Amino acid sequence: MDASTRTKSRSKKPQYSRFTQQELPAWKPILTPKWIITSFVIIAILFTPTGLLCLWASERVVEIIDRYDDDCLPDSYSTDPDSFIQSNNTNKTCVRTLKVPRKMSAPIFIYYQLDNFYQNHRRYVKSRSDKQLRDPDEADETEDCKPINGNDDGPIVPCGLVAWSLFNDTYKFFKGNKAIDIDKKDIAWESDKKYKFGSNVYPKNFQKWELIGGGALDESKPLSEQEDLIVWMKTAALPTFRKLYGKINTDLEANETITVVIQNNYNTYVFGGEKKVALSTANWIGGKNDFFGISFLTIGGVCFFVAINFILLYVLKPRPLGDPSYLSWNRNQGAQ
Amino acid sequence: MTSNRPDFNFKSSSSTSSRNSDNINTQIRNVDLQPSSSQLSIQSNSWRHSSNLGSRGVRHGSRSGVDSEGFSMSRKEIEIDDDDARLVYVNNPVKTNESFEFSGNSIRTGKYSVITFLPRNLFEQFHRVAYLYFLIIAILNQLPQLAVFGRGASIFPLASVLFVTAVKDGYEDWRRHKSDKIENNRMSYVLVNDRFRQKKCKDIQVGEVVKVSADETIPCDIVLLSTSDPTGVAYIQTINLDGESNLKTRYAKQETLSRVPEKDIISGLIKCEKPNRNIYGFQGNMEIDGKRVSLGPSNIILRGCVIKNTDWAVGVVVYAGRETKAMLNNSGAPSKRSRLETHMNQEIMLLSFFLVTLCVVVSACAGVWLKRHQDELDIMPFYRRKDYSEGQVENYNYYGLGMEIFFTFLMSVIVFQIMIPISLYISMELVRVGQAYFMIRDDKMYDATSNTRFQCRALNINEDLGQIKYVFSDKTGTLTENKMEFQFASISGVDYSGEKTEFYGEEGGYSIQVDGQIWKPKMKVQVDPNLLKLSKSRNDTKSSKDIYDFFLALAACNTIVPIVANTSNPNEKLIDYQGESPDEQALVYAAAAYGFMLIERTSGHIVIDIQGERQRFNVLGMHEFDSDRKRMSVILGYPDSTVKVFVKGADTTMFKVIDESLNLDVVRATETHLHSYSSIGLRTLVVGARALSVSEFDTWQTSYEIASTALMGRAGLLRKVAINLENNLSLLGASAIEDRLQKGVPEAIESLRKANIKVWVLTGDKQETAISIGYSSKLLTSKMTQIVINNNSKMTCQRSLEDALIISRKLINVTHASEDDASSVALIIDGTSLVYILDSDLEEQLFELASKCAVVLCCRVAPLQKAGIVALIKNRTDDMTLAIGDGANDVSMIQMADVGVGISGQEGRQAVMASDFAMGQFRFLVPLLLVHGHWNYQRMAYMILYNFYRNALFVLVLFWYVLYTGFTLTTAITEWSSVLYSIIYTAIPTIVIGILDKDLSRKLLMTYPQLYGSGQRKESYNVKLFWVTMADTLWQSVIAFFIPVLAYWKSDIDSSSLGDLWTLAVVFMVNIHLAMDVIRWTWISHASIWGSIIATCICVVIIDAIPVLPGYWAIFYLASSGLFWVCLAGILIASMIPRFIVKMFMQHCKPCDIQIAREAEKFRNSMEITRSGEIEMNR
Repeated sequence: MDASTRTKSRSKKPQYSRFTQQELPAWKPILTPKWIITSFVIIAILFTPTGLLCLWASERVVEIIDRYDDDCLPDSYSTDPDSFIQSNNTNKTCVRTLKVPRKMSAPIFIYYQLDNFYQNHRRYVKSRSDKQLRDPDEADETEDCKPINGNDDGPIVPCGLVAWSLFNDTYKFFKGNKAIDIDKKDIAWESDKKYKFGSNVYPKNFQKWELIGGGALDESKPLSEQEDLIVWMKTAALPTFRKLYGKINTDLEANETITVVIQNNYNTYVFGGEKKVALSTANWIGGKNDFFGISFLTIGGVCFFVAINFILLYVLKPRPLGDPSYLSWNRNQGAQ
Repeated sequence: MTSNRPDFNFKSSSSTSSRNSDNINTQIRNVDLQPSSSQLSIQSNSWRHSSNLGSRGVRHGSRSGVDSEGFSMSRKEIEIDDDDARLVYVNNPVKTNESFEFSGNSIRTGKYSVITFLPRNLFEQFHRVAYLYFLIIAILNQLPQLAVFGRGASIFPLASVLFVTAVKDGYEDWRRHKSDKIENNRMSYVLVNDRFRQKKCKDIQVGEVVKVSADETIPCDIVLLSTSDPTGVAYIQTINLDGESNLKTRYAKQETLSRVPEKDIISGLIKCEKPNRNIYGFQGNMEIDGKRVSLGPSNIILRGCVIKNTDWAVGVVVYAGRETKAMLNNSGAPSKRSRLETHMNQEIMLLSFFLVTLCVVVSACAGVWLKRHQDELDIMPFYRRKDYSEGQVENYNYYGLGMEIFFTFLMSVIVFQIMIPISLYISMELVRVGQAYFMIRDDKMYDATSNTRFQCRALNINEDLGQIKYVFSDKTGTLTENKMEFQFASISGVDYSGEKTEFYGEEGGYSIQVDGQIWKPKMKVQVDPNLLKLSKSRNDTKSSKDIYDFFLALAACNTIVPIVANTSNPNEKLIDYQGESPDEQALVYAAAAYGFMLIERTSGHIVIDIQGERQRFNVLGMHEFDSDRKRMSVILGYPDSTVKVFVKGADTTMFKVIDESLNLDVVRATETHLHSYSSIGLRTLVVGARALSVSEFDTWQTSYEIASTALMGRAGLLRKVAINLENNLSLLGASAIEDRLQKGVPEAIESLRKANIKVWVLTGDKQETAISIGYSSKLLTSKMTQIVINNNSKMTCQRSLEDALIISRKLINVTHASEDDASSVALIIDGTSLVYILDSDLEEQLFELASKCAVVLCCRVAPLQKAGIVALIKNRTDDMTLAIGDGANDVSMIQMADVGVGISGQEGRQAVMASDFAMGQFRFLVPLLLVHGHWNYQRMAYMILYNFYRNALFVLVLFWYVLYTGFTLTTAITEWSSVLYSIIYTAIPTIVIGILDKDLSRKLLMTYPQLYGSGQRKESYNVKLFWVTMADTLWQSVIAFFIPVLAYWKSDIDSSSLGDLWTLAVVFMVNIHLAMDVIRWTWISHASIWGSIIATCICVVIIDAIPVLPGYWAIFYLASSGLFWVCLAGILIASMIPRFIVKMFMQHCKPCDIQIAREAEKFRNSMEITRSGEIEMNR
């Protein structure tokens, strides 16, 4: 603080600006009854048709779901499913017949659905090595994969619980005696194939030692071409999930009977999970899902109801906007 | 010295103790920096921990009415024994520093060096609870079993905050280092080998003798030895130290002032206090030539002061470098915590409880889950407890059920950590800085007369300004200008209060000729032509003599120093009367206007120009003002060697020592005049005189010498001497000084009253003056019933309190019945009664009475009583108190109140230095409270609730997901998004809105002060609102979580995609929620809210474009599906609907005042607003 700064000649009066005086031009919206009712009505008008649209879209999706884990277990093993599924000598082939309820036009997506499988379990999610999957030079990056990381003979590629538990049931579809082609190309994300799974990384030591967790991999194919693995390794968000198995590129007519030959290899019995196979057409809403239709209709309905109530309220108990007699100090005086 | 205001800057008699008895020409000094540390330790214990700076007020605290000052002062003197003292050998730095190494004069305000920067800065930063919480969470996360987030993500938030703070601290420190360097390398003259040589400032040592020239800054604390003035006076300006710009005088001791250090070697021993931070006190003594002389605060010049009007000054260094008082005072004001923050902390405790509940739920569920799947865990594909890779099959990463539950608990604490909105504390600080910026920059709170802006000294109680219910105001200098103007005089029973419309003479004011130059007083005073004529007539009548004596007393009986200042006209000089007390200045200017112009004052004599004739009077002795006597006296030796004592003081004490038998009529007449003066709000003083016979003078002189050399109880002895002298006076007359009301005070008080703020005035003035000021400031109205409590004992106090309570109850009942609230009660109580009431069982009754009264006026109160009255309210109610004052006597009350406001006025800066906010005028209180206080409260209250909501929403969304992951604390939202959530995604809008949003315009808030009530009623932040907010949060989190879950159940969605959906949904919701509550949309609000939504999208895209992260490219696949957009729209609408409905319903059916005022502002034209405002006024 220099004495000179205090002299009268230099005034400390704050310079005027609209900013410092907090007088910037501003939009001051006030929600008047008109606005409130309009906004509720608009929401109602937007949401009700959208809800109907969703319901209609969901209705158009044809979906066939078949749970087979229990039925594909021979009766003799029903008390001990583990020994059935772990044995190499049991016949795991299982035949299911499905009826097409409505015409399904191509592409028809084949999913396997697992219930009660926590692919989002913390132990599970962490147990992978994305570095190893991308780059052959980083095959030793298996710290996160323990205990399925390899031994003295070298690292496991791909390591970790996620890859180890690769789903390995297989499906074959027959229309009568004629096999239906299943297109297993491009079931994984393009970005994953290009950047996450290396085209020069080959499976090594996979499912070789100790406990077998699931499917094996063709060691001659690079990871980027192992699309089943890529799909499997995109861990599901919720404990009930579907994963794409393949596509059928021919239409299925209504009331046709389809035979599915399933190799029931995958062990869901150990944790009480369920296995289902699902055939579904798709449109913009994805698979069959009535939830949106219902919830949007609900929102629309509620808004419409509220709008009517507000109209009634304003008619029956109007309050002039900005009437000073409603101010608390005026009210109190009136009350006395 | 003025005495009708006991709490004013009076002088302590103890300060005369250093006077040398041999010297009949006793020095007159303007002791403005008072010693005070001694009282502080005793008296401030019961109060808030107060800084020494403010202690000047505290020291007056003689509650019992017995002035303990003198005793403690003398006690203090004795206490300086060798252990406590610092020994300084004058001009012998080697010997001085021999036994103790005193600190050198180099200063270091920089906190850090290059090496210590990192550890020290980190250490200091971690003093804050917020950072410590961050740190503990981050450390927990580093344990491998608990590693919820990656290393980078867990440390990033803490590291970024630490880094920014460290850079800021580092930069500030670098600047301090730079200024230290300049400071340390300044040159000054130091006596080396009997010659003054230039030496770098940092090399000065304690014990050395330094020489400072005019306009130079003092390099260290020095005890004056001699100055260019033959009487040893040096004038200094302490603006750098305490901001006071008037000149102060410092004195060299008689024993040293004549010596020239180069020739006449001074050697002596100074014994003084250890370094302390009290800039108004200094105790010590100097042994020189075998004599011991005492040193007081008037003998020391502190580092940072500037020498003015003195060619040079020589002094010996006693404190140097960091031990100087200026350096020891380099610390801020004590910090307070705002009411809102205190309430907020209670709710944060609730939130911690929620957090613990969530964690317990998760860990309990996890335990149950593990127990149920106990048998399956070993080979379960997503658990795989057994590790078969080694020969021996062992559990992998499993520590038994108990430990797993415990780990789950800790992990959930880490995941849900932001439930406790630690970032809120940091945001609040930023918001307060922003709010302070706008308060400082408000041009409606700029005072042009003193050229001061509003000052925010405390940065953490801005929002308290919006909840004030009681204002305690000082009167003089706060309600009034403290610019005294001489108005009337009553001289020997004749009242001179006629018309005074003209200035004297054509040239405008009285002037004298000195060496062909015209000297004029700087200030012009209106004069009574009648009195002027009489004062000029030189006949020998009794009345003419009385007038002569009266004005002589006014001109002489004071401590004013005339300073002759140049003007633009070389033939014209102005006499500026410098002094501490504005009352004395006014009296001296008045005397000058009537032809008694004080033109010179030295320690031994004064020169007064009486009607153009220069006369020299010897000042033989002076008894300075003290709060007990409430008067001062000066003993003048006339040129014809007659001796007379002049006494001036408060009427109460003066009439006791006036010999009424001399002229009873005059005394009665004067009393009547005094009463009429004070009833129109004037400050009055009574002047008396007595001729001393030779024997009387000799007796006085002997006893005075004994008293002033006494080693023990010097102050008390001196007071006794004074009391013996001041008796049997003949009454000369009385003066009346007007202290004008500040501009806008009545209007301000009216506004405050309308805002339902109770204004109490606490003043040292007497009752009549206080009441008349009360009327003129519209505090009191004629409709009010006044209850006056004016008692001298506890018994009578009790009785009158009981009576008053009965009366007030009756009146209030009547008021209720008659629907007319104008006839309210005003309580007027005086300091004497308060002595018996405060701190006794009567306090409760006083509180009850006072809370029934619309106005409370306390007169004749001591500074500590002021604090006591504030405490009376503060301790018994939950209401917020604000104290406003300008003087040292207000310091204790300012520190006691929840909010202290200082007026930077005439009485120095101590009130400002103790205050939380400082401003130039009382009327600025209205915009400060009604406008800024209201805004700050609304903003901060909303911001706190919003932050609770914002963080809880995110935590709840995480929590719901955890329930679907086998209770294992997986987060679908990527760790980077969780980290950035409170840093980038949602941080800026809440801060911007917290600084900028305005619920109502300034104009409206000023027109309807009643709108302030919303803060007093805690409408914007209360427990109910908290629970409503939390319920809303719960609903919103349910919508945000379950709509996507139900939509994507049984689908092939992966966790990253769903996580991205949740991230975007939550951020959109949070920002739209805020947008719904923004009242004024400026471009900045638009930019911050929509900007953070865009920034979030960009961040999510960037995170999903990193191949090593699991969610690579997820957002692009997600955004290309229609379901995602439908989902987002559904979430946003469904989550906001209940809130919207409730808000609209409340708005319509139970509109708050703010709502109506907003509507009125927008839809009713201004005419209507003003008209209804007028109706309001007329009511």
